[in-house]
Amino acid sequence: MRMFSVAHKTVFVVDHCPYMAESSRQQVECDVLTKSRAQGVIPLAPVSKSLWTCAVECSMEYCRILYDIYPRDKLINYIVSDSEFHILNSWMREDQSTHELMSALAAVGPPNHREDPESCSVVHGLSAAVESLSKITELQHEQRTALMDTAERVANRGRIICLTNAKSDTHVRMLEDCIQETILEQNKLAAGSDRLMAIQQCELVLVHIYPQGDDMLVSDRPKKEISPLLTSEVHSVRAGRHLATKLNILVQQHFDLASTTITNIPMKPTLNVCEQEEQHANTSANYDVELLHHRDAHLEFFKSGEFTTRENGLKETITLKWCTPRTNNIELHYCTGAYRISPTDVNSRPSSCLTNFLLNGRSVLLEQPRKSGSKVISHMLSSHGGEIFLHVLNSNRSILEDPPSISEGCGGRVTDYRIADFGEFMRENRLTPVSESSHHPSGRLPVERAKAQIDRHTRYWPMIISQTTIFNMQAVVPLANLIIKEALTEEDVLTCQKTVYNLVDMERKNDPLPISTAGSRGKGPKRDEQYRIMWNELETFVKTLAVATDRHQRVLDCIIACRSKPPEEEERKKRGRKREDREDRTEKNGNKEVEDKSWQDSERLKVLLDKEDQESEVIKDSPDSPEPLNKKPRLTTEEVQPPERAKGPVSLLTMWTNRITTANSRKHQEFVGRASSVNNKFELYQNLKDENGMDVHENGKTTR
Amino acid sequence: MPTVVVMDVSLSMTRPVCLDGSEEFQRKNLAVHGLNMLFEHMASNYRLEFTALMAFSSLWELLVPFTRDYNALQEALSTLEDYDKTCVESALQGVSNVVQQEWGSACPCQVVLVTDGSLGIGKGSLRHSLQTLKHRGDDKKFPLPFPFPTKMFIMCVANAEELQTTDAMDNLEELLFLSGGDGQILTVDGPLCMKSVQAMFGLIDVAYSPFHAVLHCGNLSSDVQVFPRPEAVVVDDEVDPIPRTVNTDVDDVGGGATEELEEEPSASQAAGKSPNICVLLHGSLRVEGMVALVELGLEWYGMLHSQADSKKKSNMMMSLFEPGPDPLPWLGKITHLGPISEAAENPYGEDDSKSPFPVTPQVKRSYAQNVTVWIKASGLQTDVQKILRNARKLPDKTQTFYKELNRLRKAALAFGFWELLKGVADLLERECTMLPDSAHPDAAFQLSHAAQQLKRASAGDPQYAGFDHNIVPIPTDFSS
Repeated sequence: MRMFSVAHKTVFVVDHCPYMAESSRQQVECDVLTKSRAQGVIPLAPVSKSLWTCAVECSMEYCRILYDIYPRDKLINYIVSDSEFHILNSWMREDQSTHELMSALAAVGPPNHREDPESCSVVHGLSAAVESLSKITELQHEQRTALMDTAERVANRGRIICLTNAKSDTHVRMLEDCIQETILEQNKLAAGSDRLMAIQQCELVLVHIYPQGDDMLVSDRPKKEISPLLTSEVHSVRAGRHLATKLNILVQQHFDLASTTITNIPMKPTLNVCEQEEQHANTSANYDVELLHHRDAHLEFFKSGEFTTRENGLKETITLKWCTPRTNNIELHYCTGAYRISPTDVNSRPSSCLTNFLLNGRSVLLEQPRKSGSKVISHMLSSHGGEIFLHVLNSNRSILEDPPSISEGCGGRVTDYRIADFGEFMRENRLTPVSESSHHPSGRLPVERAKAQIDRHTRYWPMIISQTTIFNMQAVVPLANLIIKEALTEEDVLTCQKTVYNLVDMERKNDPLPISTAGSRGKGPKRDEQYRIMWNELETFVKTLAVATDRHQRVLDCIIACRSKPPEEEERKKRGRKREDREDRTEKNGNKEVEDKSWQDSERLKVLLDKEDQESEVIKDSPDSPEPLNKKPRLTTEEVQPPERAKGPVSLLTMWTNRITTANSRKHQEFVGRASSVNNKFELYQNLKDENGMDVHENGKTTR
Repeated sequence: MPTVVVMDVSLSMTRPVCLDGSEEFQRKNLAVHGLNMLFEHMASNYRLEFTALMAFSSLWELLVPFTRDYNALQEALSTLEDYDKTCVESALQGVSNVVQQEWGSACPCQVVLVTDGSLGIGKGSLRHSLQTLKHRGDDKKFPLPFPFPTKMFIMCVANAEELQTTDAMDNLEELLFLSGGDGQILTVDGPLCMKSVQAMFGLIDVAYSPFHAVLHCGNLSSDVQVFPRPEAVVVDDEVDPIPRTVNTDVDDVGGGATEELEEEPSASQAAGKSPNICVLLHGSLRVEGMVALVELGLEWYGMLHSQADSKKKSNMMMSLFEPGPDPLPWLGKITHLGPISEAAENPYGEDDSKSPFPVTPQVKRSYAQNVTVWIKASGLQTDVQKILRNARKLPDKTQTFYKELNRLRKAALAFGFWELLKGVADLLERECTMLPDSAHPDAAFQLSHAAQQLKRASAGDPQYAGFDHNIVPIPTDFSS
């Protein structure tokens, strides 16, 4: 159904003139006496509904079914007409509910006998209906705003259902003419207004209601074109259940509905479908429940021509058999559609038993009754969020059968995927509904924020275990969890820094690292190489996120500062001087690689490091190995960072180191160079500078 | 979508083709050659397609039922025999039956009709079928359009000039039109020979080419192939009737997760040994029992999930939702799904014991809110009896009694059914007189109070006939 077909707007015009107070002459016995009490009691006289009551309750039933199946944007405007018109609600979405309408109808009350019959007419209501049709709805407004350049595609059509007691065919023609004229007038008005739209098509459905036993004064007439703008059809119906049936057929025709009857519902207490059943066993002759829903749920049946069409253009109800509920829902994989339902007889006991059963979270599979052969499950009833849906299941062979295994495709032979970690990643990136009214400071839609988060979380995300060291280390977890956040708190930065210090400590203690030895010959890289790989990876990881905020940057700074050699290693370094030279070179290489943003290269980097390792073994033994060009000034490495660099509060390590340094300094006389140093630096060989006119100090400065 | 190859094996197909070379060919040989090429193409590029082979003359026969075994199809081609005259209508009836039996009427199908443009003579000829189209009863309807969506390729082993000497082309065009218009009529360009027929069959290869796309999950991405090809969808809502195509750059949006799909002309075949996000995602979805939301295009979404068959083979399946902003009402608008990290507390609970879904609508459906409908007399009787049953159990059932009474009152006021209010008031008064001596004194008070309130409402007194006004129990004190 098109968004702005005549079904978008329906105006009910219900006649509220004094003659509608007339009895429908259909009597209802509401005093059903039980045998034991019957003696000596005069039963209450049966009550009978007025034409008005019949019209109102049947129109409300129409609305109920419509709102159940189309909860949004199939709108109803309810108008009552007597000596003037009374508009009971508007096109606003918030006004669209049977409760709103019932409340407004109660305020109107039944037709007033004392009103002057001459001044009363349904014409007032019909004119108001045309005016109402030209009023723009929320959806029309939204679409016109959304499609500025093609706003003319937003059509304005509508339907008027008039429930009245007409006098004759001539009277009906008069009503039609009146509508036609009002449309023309209204369209002229609409041309000069923003809130009004010209009516392009109007469908009048006139239902003439007359009491039981009366002669039919108005004849039925199928739809005919009065003008290019207006079509009209007339239904002449007796009040009471005939009227109810008529409006039920109309709602199906107007909104492309079809009917399914669920049969074989086991109303046994054991199945808990209907607990009260036993005590009323004698009253429930029929356990079938008829449901209405969009007709597409029957597409498969209609196309194959298995079902016949009734005179009114509707298909016969399709009977499906209840199948005892199952818990496994594998069938859902082949679900090809889900359609909202509305029970035809909503408060009958079988209906409410079935709907309550479904609302409580159970599902019912439905089977096509077949004369022979195996049973075919074609539909399933199940509720989601308090709404019941008829699910269409594919009952034929599926073209998806026997798909190839994912292990046959790309990456299918890799065995060490970080499945559990990715599961954790997915769970952190789960979605939750966000109220449409809430506004985020960034102005971005919730889903865009969700995507931004996924983007942040995947800046560096090695897919396999052997590709990563840091994500295999428990010690890195606190930092890894925090650094991917959009914003860090001071406390977060501290936790990250602590994580880094902890790693420094591990390195000092020479703790083993979970480095994969897969692919490399022998035992894999040596311990200090392992740490270098780990630090490189950590730096790469944090670098991808450091641009976000200053606090992220501080975590990166901390890593860069701390990965420098701790003091204990210094001695070792001195001993293996040549070895360090080599490391210096690899580190330079390493840094160049790290700057390359594509983290995927880290694998290659590792290979590179391994290779370097082997090459340098040779160099180490050679007495001719060249001296390094850049020597690290040892002083800075073991010194505490200058205070202006450490923006955050002083760390525990810094406090401790400061304390020890102060304590030690008291025990000896200060070295003259340190005493006269500037920024803890003292230029050596100052005489050379004078001789060569060259700044050696400058050359030896660390780049960090 | 599955394919039915319908091969004309009438005598006209045996007409020899004049070639300069020594060997003599029949049109049938050329057609078989072309089909062999097609099958080879499918076997290497589109091997998950199901294909059936049907031969027809005045009768039709299903030679190979739907299969992915292209050898079987080629083998059947090599053993074709020659029969009498061409009768397209009966063959199409056969296609309709075979397809519906196998796939039902919702599954789209491709039909490849291979013929020579000589479409039969007299009764049963295509010309005759088309001429009598409008004079048929319901039992003898022309099989087109098929109940299932159809893409029809008509392959004529004849060149255009040859077809123009008769009305064959017009008839074929009408046939294509009747099938729904989606498809093509292909003829041989230039003289009939192996090469030209091969070229003609090559033109439908595009319908059997793999669908390449790129799946993105944040910065992780992978080339993927989607089977069957996701076809463009036109949402005919008049306002925006633009065909929606699956953007080949698929964006993964988060679990219960988004993935994005992009056009890559040539996806490089990565080795099975290099890690792939699809395999990782599949594994984790399976272990966690989750699905990933995929953004396919503008306001078009789908989901990725792991699906395992009984043989323990499992693969990633992409289900496409109906295009639109909220394809599954119980998820709400997809654009309004945000990251859980923004929520004050994890909506899934710290131990996954909760879920923010389903999203429930603001207004309950009629079947979930105890509505009052008196269309059938039984509905009204039940409601009145319910009140009387509770009336006899006062004061124990005071609350239920008033609840039911107010429900009936509201409906009667809305329906303008004041007569009913009077009737029920009378009934309550009668119940009051019939109370047994053993009855609690409160019962009589409540009954006459309720009856009086109903009577006032039925008189239309605005003070008592308000819809939102409720009758409340009269306060009594019998405790002492």
